[in-house]
Amino acid sequence: MLEARNLKFSYTKPVLKDVSFSVGSGELFAVLGPNGSGKSTLIKIIVGMLKPESGTVVVDGRNAASMSRRETARVIGYVAQESTVRFPLTAMELVLQGRFAQGRLIGFESERDVSEAEWAMRVTETIEFAARPVTELSGGERQRVMLARALAVRPRLLVLDEPVANLDITHQVKMLELIQRLTIKEGMTAIVVTHELNLAAEFAMSALLLKNGDAIACGAPREVMTRSALRAVFDTDLLVDDSPVSGAPRVTLIGRQRSEELNSRIEP
Amino acid sequence: MSVKALTDQILMRERLTAQRLATTLAALAILLIAVGVFSVALGSEHVGLTNVIRIIAAEITGGAAEVSREQRIIIADIRLPRVLMAIVVGAALAVAGSAYQALLRNPLADPGILGISSGAALGAISATIFVESIAISRPVAAFAGAVITIAVVYALGQGRQGSGTERLILAGVIINALLSSIVIFLVTSASGARQRNVLSWLIGDLSGESRLLLPVALFVLIGIGAVYLNARSLNLMMIGEQEALTLGVEARRVKVAVYLAASLLTGAAVAVSGAIGFVGLIIPHAVRLVGGSDNRLVVPASALVGGIFLMLADTIARTVVAPRELNLGVITSLVGAPVFVYLLRRTN
Repeated sequence: MLEARNLKFSYTKPVLKDVSFSVGSGELFAVLGPNGSGKSTLIKIIVGMLKPESGTVVVDGRNAASMSRRETARVIGYVAQESTVRFPLTAMELVLQGRFAQGRLIGFESERDVSEAEWAMRVTETIEFAARPVTELSGGERQRVMLARALAVRPRLLVLDEPVANLDITHQVKMLELIQRLTIKEGMTAIVVTHELNLAAEFAMSALLLKNGDAIACGAPREVMTRSALRAVFDTDLLVDDSPVSGAPRVTLIGRQRSEELNSRIEP
Repeated sequence: MSVKALTDQILMRERLTAQRLATTLAALAILLIAVGVFSVALGSEHVGLTNVIRIIAAEITGGAAEVSREQRIIIADIRLPRVLMAIVVGAALAVAGSAYQALLRNPLADPGILGISSGAALGAISATIFVESIAISRPVAAFAGAVITIAVVYALGQGRQGSGTERLILAGVIINALLSSIVIFLVTSASGARQRNVLSWLIGDLSGESRLLLPVALFVLIGIGAVYLNARSLNLMMIGEQEALTLGVEARRVKVAVYLAASLLTGAAVAVSGAIGFVGLIIPHAVRLVGGSDNRLVVPASALVGGIFLMLADTIARTVVAPRELNLGVITSLVGAPVFVYLLRRTN
C-alpha cells in the first residue's frame, strides 16, 4: 500500500537520513521513536505537506510526487495531533470539510457528501452530536470528529499523528480499537505515530523504530520491540516480556537512575 | 418558546444549504434597502418618506421627480451618495475582517489590529500630499499601502516553524505603531486648513469623496467576489492550514488571493473614509453568532450587515447633534471597543 524509499530530509541538520520501509495493505502500522527522531517529519512527507530532499513515496502503486493535492486528498486521510478550533463550526460542518476534494471549489455539498459524512460519524460514534459546535466538545469527542473528517472521503490510507496523546486510558483503547476496526472491516491501511509502546504492541501488525532520523528496525512488534532495541533507541532502561493476555511484547519502564540503584543492590 | 428551546435552536444548527443562504441574504438585502431609505429620509432638513422614495426612484430610472429643487439636491446629491458610501465602506471593512479572521484562525483579527488600515492610511495621505490633483490616486495608494503592510507584517510574523498566529498579530501591532507615528508626523506637519481636513478624515468620516463612489464600489465588489470564491477553502483553512493542505486545498494560492482581496477592500474603505475601527471585528462575529461559521454565509452576510451597521452609525453621527456632526469613527469605536473586550474575555 505504501512504500518509502531512501527518504532524506533536513531543516538545518538532517532529520531523516535514508529511511526506507513499506506498509502492507490493510495493516495497522505503528511509527515509534523518541522526540526529535523524525516521526513528525516522516508523517508530513507521507501526507504531502513536505517534499523529501531525495527519495520517493509510492502510495497505492503511484508516485506521490506526481499526484495533485486533490488526488492525494482522496487517497490519504490525515488526523493532526491536536487541532485548536476557535470557530464554533458544528461537528457535521467540520466532517463535511472532508469532502472538499470530492466536490466543487465553490457551491454546496451534495446528498452523497452528506451520506458519506453521516457514515463517517456513525463509525466514529459522533453522529449524536452532529449539530453541536465543536468548540463545546470534550478532547476525546473532538479527536473523533477530526477522525470522522479524515474518513469522510473514504481514504485508502489513514495517517494519524499521536491520536491518543491527550486521551485518558479508556479513550486511548477505544480510539485504537476503532482504528483497528477500520483496517479490518473497511480494508483501510493505518499509519499511527505514538509514544504508547504497549498500545502499539497490542494493536499494531507492524512497527517502525526511528532514532535520530535512522530507521533502526521495521517489522512485527515482536521482532522490533526487543529490550536491546528499545533501550538503545530511547536511551533508558526498560524491561520487555510477554503480555499474559495477548502474548504481545509488554514494556515496563525502569529508567536509568532506578536501574543503577537496583544493580548496585544486586552487586554490592 | 422557552429559553432552552431557543438556545437549542440556535446551537443545534442545520448545515448551510443553498436555500438557507438565499433566504438569509434576501432578508438582509430587504433590511439593507429599508434602512437605506430610512437613513436618507433622516436629517436636519425634513423630507417626507414618500418624497424620498420618489427621488430615489427618479434617480434610478432617470426620470424627474415632482419635488422641490432643494429637496432633490439634499436627497439625491448629498444624502444618497453618503448613504451608499456607508454601505460600500461597511461591506468592505466587514468582509476584510472576516477574511483576516479565517486566514489567521483568530476571531479577533481585524484590519485595524493588523496595521493594514494604518498602511492604507499612510498610502492615502501620501497621495493627498504629493499627487492631490488625481482623485483616483488616493484609493490606489491606499491599496498599495495595505498590500505592502500585510506583506511586511506577514514576513515579520513568519517563524522558523511557519507562521504563528500570535507572532503575526504581534508583528501587526508593532507595524501599526510605527505607521501611526509616521501618519501623525505627516498630519502635524501639514498646514492649518488641510490639517483639519486630513485629521477629520483620518478618524473616520464619510462626508466627502462622493466623486469616488463608483470606482470604490467597483474595487469593493471585486474584493468581496474574490473572498467569496475562496469561502469553502477558507472554511478548511480556518481549522488548520496544514490539515487543509491534506484535504486538497491549494493553501498558498488561497492565502495570496484572499490577502490581496482583503487588502483591496481595506485600501478602498480607508481611502474614502479614513480608519473606521472595529467594523471588521464585530460584524463577522455577530453574523457567526446567529448564522454559524460557514464562510459561504459569513462573507456575503457580513457585507450586508456591515453596510446596514455603518449606515445606522453614520445616520446617528450626522443627526444626533445636528447641524453639527459627530465623528463616525468615534461612534464605531464607542460600540466596538466594549464588544472587543467582551470577546477577548470570552475567548480566554
